Amino acid sequence: MTMKRKAKKLPASKSAEEVENSDPSSHGEEEEDEEELPTPSKATKTEDHASEESVPRPQKLSKGELYKPPTAEELHQLKEAESLFHCNLLKMQMEELLKEVVLSERRKRLVDSFIMKIKALLQNVPQTREVELNDHSWISEGVKVPFLWVPKTTKGKFHMAPPASVSLVGSYPLGTCTKPSVSVDLSVIMPPAVLHPKDVLNQRYPRKRALYLAGLAQHLRSSPEIGTLRYSCLHGNRLRPLLLLTPPGKDSNSLTVKIHVYPPPGFFKPSLFHPKRNNVRTHWYTGLEAPQPDAVGPPTPHYNSSLLGDVLPKAHLQFLSAISAQCSAFGEAVALLKVWLRQRQLDRGAGCFSGFVGSMLVAYLLSSHRVSNSMTAYQLLRNSLHFLASTDLTKNGITLAKNPDSKAPTLHEFHSTFQVVFVDPSGYLNLCADMTANTYKQVQNEASLSLQFWDDPTVDGFQALLMTPKPLIRTCDHVFQLHGLVKLQASCKKLNLLGELMDHGGDYVLTALPFILSLLQLGLGKRIHLLTHSLTADPEWSVDSEPPKHKDQTPLSFGLLLNPEHSSSVLERGPPADSPEAAEFRQLWGPRAELRRFQDGAITEAVLWGGSSACQKRLVPREIITHLLQLHADIPESCVRYVGGLFDDVIKIGRRSCSTGEEESLKVVQSFDDLSRKLWQLEDLPLSITSVQAAHPALRYTQVFPPVPQKLDYSFFEQDKQSRALVPHKDKPCPVFIPPLQVICHMEGSGKWPHERLAIRHVKAAFHIRLGELLRKQHMYTCSTTPTHVDVYKDGLIFRIQVAYHREPQVLRESIGPDGLLRYRDNEEAQALEMETLHRPYLTSTLHGLQQQHPSFGVTCRLAKRWLAAQLFSDEVDEDAADLLVASLFLQPVPFTPPSSPQVGFLRFLHLLSSFDWKNCPLVVNFNSQLTASDYVEIKNNFIASRESLPVMFIATPKDKKVSIWTKQGPSVQMLQRLIVVASESLRVLEAQLLDPSQNQDVRVALRPPLDMYDVLIHLNPKYVPLLDQAVDPPHITFSRGTVPGSAPSTRGLLPVIDFNPVSLYLAELRDAFGHLALFFCDPYGGTVIAVLWKPQAFKAQPFKTSQMSARCVEVSGDEAHSLPNVEAILEDFRIMGDALVRKVEPRMENWVV
Amino acid sequence: MKMAPSAKKHAEQSWVIPGGFTVLPLKYSSDSVSQHSLYVKEHRVRAEKTTSRPLDRTLFVLNIPPYCSEEIIKDLFSTFGKVQSVELREKPGTTESSDLKLSKYFRPALTKGFSVGYVVFTSPSGVKAAKSHPRDIPLIVSTENHPVKVGIQKWIQQYRQSLINPEKLQAAVDTFMQGYDQKKEEESERQKEAEEDDEGWVKVTRGVRGSKARPHSEMANQRALQKEDKKRKRKELLNFYTWQHRQTQREHIAELRRKFEEDKQRIAVLRAQRKFRPY
Repeated sequence: MTMKRKAKKLPASKSAEEVENSDPSSHGEEEEDEEELPTPSKATKTEDHASEESVPRPQKLSKGELYKPPTAEELHQLKEAESLFHCNLLKMQMEELLKEVVLSERRKRLVDSFIMKIKALLQNVPQTREVELNDHSWISEGVKVPFLWVPKTTKGKFHMAPPASVSLVGSYPLGTCTKPSVSVDLSVIMPPAVLHPKDVLNQRYPRKRALYLAGLAQHLRSSPEIGTLRYSCLHGNRLRPLLLLTPPGKDSNSLTVKIHVYPPPGFFKPSLFHPKRNNVRTHWYTGLEAPQPDAVGPPTPHYNSSLLGDVLPKAHLQFLSAISAQCSAFGEAVALLKVWLRQRQLDRGAGCFSGFVGSMLVAYLLSSHRVSNSMTAYQLLRNSLHFLASTDLTKNGITLAKNPDSKAPTLHEFHSTFQVVFVDPSGYLNLCADMTANTYKQVQNEASLSLQFWDDPTVDGFQALLMTPKPLIRTCDHVFQLHGLVKLQASCKKLNLLGELMDHGGDYVLTALPFILSLLQLGLGKRIHLLTHSLTADPEWSVDSEPPKHKDQTPLSFGLLLNPEHSSSVLERGPPADSPEAAEFRQLWGPRAELRRFQDGAITEAVLWGGSSACQKRLVPREIITHLLQLHADIPESCVRYVGGLFDDVIKIGRRSCSTGEEESLKVVQSFDDLSRKLWQLEDLPLSITSVQAAHPALRYTQVFPPVPQKLDYSFFEQDKQSRALVPHKDKPCPVFIPPLQVICHMEGSGKWPHERLAIRHVKAAFHIRLGELLRKQHMYTCSTTPTHVDVYKDGLIFRIQVAYHREPQVLRESIGPDGLLRYRDNEEAQALEMETLHRPYLTSTLHGLQQQHPSFGVTCRLAKRWLAAQLFSDEVDEDAADLLVASLFLQPVPFTPPSSPQVGFLRFLHLLSSFDWKNCPLVVNFNSQLTASDYVEIKNNFIASRESLPVMFIATPKDKKVSIWTKQGPSVQMLQRLIVVASESLRVLEAQLLDPSQNQDVRVALRPPLDMYDVLIHLNPKYVPLLDQAVDPPHITFSRGTVPGSAPSTRGLLPVIDFNPVSLYLAELRDAFGHLALFFCDPYGGTVIAVLWKPQAFKAQPFKTSQMSARCVEVSGDEAHSLPNVEAILEDFRIMGDALVRKVEPRMENWVV
Repeated sequence: MKMAPSAKKHAEQSWVIPGGFTVLPLKYSSDSVSQHSLYVKEHRVRAEKTTSRPLDRTLFVLNIPPYCSEEIIKDLFSTFGKVQSVELREKPGTTESSDLKLSKYFRPALTKGFSVGYVVFTSPSGVKAAKSHPRDIPLIVSTENHPVKVGIQKWIQQYRQSLINPEKLQAAVDTFMQGYDQKKEEESERQKEAEEDDEGWVKVTRGVRGSKARPHSEMANQRALQKEDKKRKRKELLNFYTWQHRQTQREHIAELRRKFEEDKQRIAVLRAQRKFRPY
């Protein structure tokens, strides 16, 4: 009999390749870098082989090299590194990063040559005859005007003419242009003849500019020198359209040229654009005759600044060039700041903190002498962040204008019209005109967060600061989206925002946004730390299509950083009924506000939100948001897509209940506390108890499905008369599963304890008998005793008390050597015992403490473990290791804040799994900040020195710096790789789903494992799967499990069936019998399929050996006997061993042949 | 299953493979479609002196499926002759005698996988009969008269058996502890006697009980060495002489250099892995 694999379909080999490919850095930016770097596929492969063989180990310097006299320069370098950075590492890392983002010489040549070509082309723009502004007939059919022509009427004439001049502006000439998405700004100056000085009024100039762009597009369209031609607009401002050009052929992805059309310098006076001036007349905009013909109307600051922005680019470039010439590190500092902003998604879209604002900020710091010209890029970045963190530009704006002329607006005037104020060198333009206060608060928050961990030597600052992307969905605890943006038009009406709408050129989304934000900020109040919103992405459209409407923009996303103390409170207590603020309160909350009398006697206004269980209370912010939006902005609830509790469904307790188990967990812990008190008070024990410790996930709030007490129907069971216990009935479905909750009970040390392993076991058994007797006598609990533990039936739960003697592990390690010396040798038995009686109770109490600090810890663990189990990894990553992984997210969240909702915690868990570099880094879980910086170094050094012998997934804790006891058993390399692949895929699917309103929301997609790669599927009979209700997709049929409604008795009663789960018994037998031939996977929570994967090496013919004949058959060739697995018989054994439980054994012959 | 070409000729005969094992086919029940093969051979280990496995009457059996308990094997092999005892083990080899004396509550749990067995017949003829069993007549494990409990039924039975009467357990513990105390007493008696030399002199020592009586442990040795090390270090003066000061400075620079070198290495590795691409 021979067995051959059709194809290598093992997850191991498959996932190894995928891991390489899924490395995000190897995508995207490859093609243009052939010169500088070896091709990515080769690089990763060779590197992979190399690092597989040799884990990095520092090269040893020879003695002579170490002790030679230092040169002055070297001394200086070493000292600088020591004092400025924690180590050279950060400095070198930043240098490496800069090398990655700055433009290569090759790319610069490419840009220069392309710009030359465009310049030449632009000189030949043909002249056209003069027409009315509204007459677009001169533009050919294939080109549209990039402007929303509302209202239709416009005065003025237009004709096409060659540009007055073409020049580079922006980051490229300044040298601060960075990869990726290299964009080069090209300014095209309109000839003065086209313009009229009064064009600033009523969108005439923006319209002429759009027409001029359309003219340019028409001219450039036919040229073979140009690859693609698209329209966009600057930072989402629809009044400022752009033309995007890319080179033809293979270079098309490597650069984009943005054509800005500007008026001739000095054509418009800056004073025309004073923020208090009106440049859009109401009667023109509305089309209605104004009551007073001379009325000027409300000021149009945003309109003004968007026009003013066109007047000044040249001046800005000159200003920045002058600064840059003085400070050598300016360019690098701006590049680092840009990377920092980009990772936080702050650098693009409407009202963004763009790279340009960033460079202006650095220039401000330099010109105001807050930083010196001789500082390094590292110091400049740090000072910039420090400035951002400590300065509130929403209150104390800053200006770059040295001595502004008298007509220029004052800072006070700026503050009264804009939310964020940063004035440019001319004194007229607010660089942050479109930024909302919330965006600035987000920048500020990010900056202060970055500074917090910058100096923390226990954090990999570089990774957190510059390398970790922070998408909204993984940053904020709750996220919601407004889709159907057309509804915002109604909000503008409701909020009475006609003036603002005019100011924004009819963009009702941007108009309504600040008002919605301040409304929600007011309503959410103390419940949140921060309210952020996504910046509307710059739309791009092809030159032959009409510009997209405002309503077609991507939906607005908002993020909440919750304050866990207040976020889920159901009561909003307002001011006393007779105070003047009461009216305001009533106005804000509308009909929901009501008078309430409190226990302290006060009668105040209050709002009471619904929600009884913890998972409902978590969604109180949603109620508030939908209520306020409906009430004040006319946005119906159907337009709000709230992403905050979508995963709750997965861990719901029971089919009909609305609780996600927090309440049940609490009850279990309370019951344990009571038991512990009773144990302490037990009298008549021969030795006293020194500690009672919990050692089960349910006792630290992290059990996926915490046990729920059930009242039992005795007639469902058989009874064992002798021990007064229930026994499962063989003809009935498997009874309800009652898990035993381990409790470790340490007894005091005494001379009475024997000093021999067997005797200790017997003494412990005697203790168990005694404990059982005493609990029965003194507290009426039903107990069941075995040599290794005593089970106590209390409050419908089973506590499994194990007596421990602290010297037992030592006794197990003792042996007498041949030389008569007493020696201690570590062995598995002792380790297992220590794990059970020492480490696990300690971990349980530590994690229990963590739950007290972070209320969402437990639920996050449960979600994480539910996912692991559903994806069939629960035997690879055990409960304790999974809890540790989640704990690391709470203890070292940088660059994020600790998760305050299970959802974001779970997403970060998936991200941690998929992105952590297990090969080169230890994951340190620093409980109670017990580990210091030197401990970290020690852990890291230890780790590097003995990488090969350590578990693939290495987790260090304060009690366990060298061994990683919780991941010793697994996962294996192959399983870890598969885990990484599955995690990143799940994360991708989930994030896409959560952010895309058009997708059906079914988070269970990420919990359904792909089964097609397994070799054999064993289908189980649901009747005998006791946890069937916990399945990801519970089947419609239900079985009676021997329970009746009602609450379980707190004492007395027959002993229920404990820990009887045929599925786990079957799995244990399968692994015992065939573990050497195959791997078995099953979802312990209601899974009805066991997936089997053959181990490839077991199917090679082996010589006959008496010790390795299990489940094998012999093949004789000549004088030699070889053995091979007896597959047919094994498949039949699967069925025989799981008699009644197994419904069908399905060998998937497409994966393998016999 | 692909049979060797000579299979048909020897259909009525036993099949002996190189290595001296006879192949006995085994089916779970008569309607099973596939079969396992037991490999049997007479037990022949010269070094072994245990009386429980007499050399001429013991059959060594390999590859016993998990659903075969000792009783079932006894039943199966009774067709070859009267079976005296059956011993199932995870791996071939001798048993530790200490485990056998324990009460059933404290015996280590049996493995649930495939096992090897030692079947002891009352007479040597049983071994011979087993070895000449024809290859095409499989042994049947579960018959109508003797159904074998597997799956759910077996687990329920196991559960029932796991319920223990505390009194019986207490009795087992008591017996063991009595024996243990007795053994300890005897030991200390013996030790006392041993110390009395031929002429009746007794050497007076600190104590006789437990570990204290033993001369040294490894740990104690190490601790003594460490203590001495500490003592020496305390006596030393640091940065007292100029040359010492200079030495410290030199060490500091060397340390910085070493770190620098380490960091460079790390960076090189990270660069090789392209870890500096921010997006």
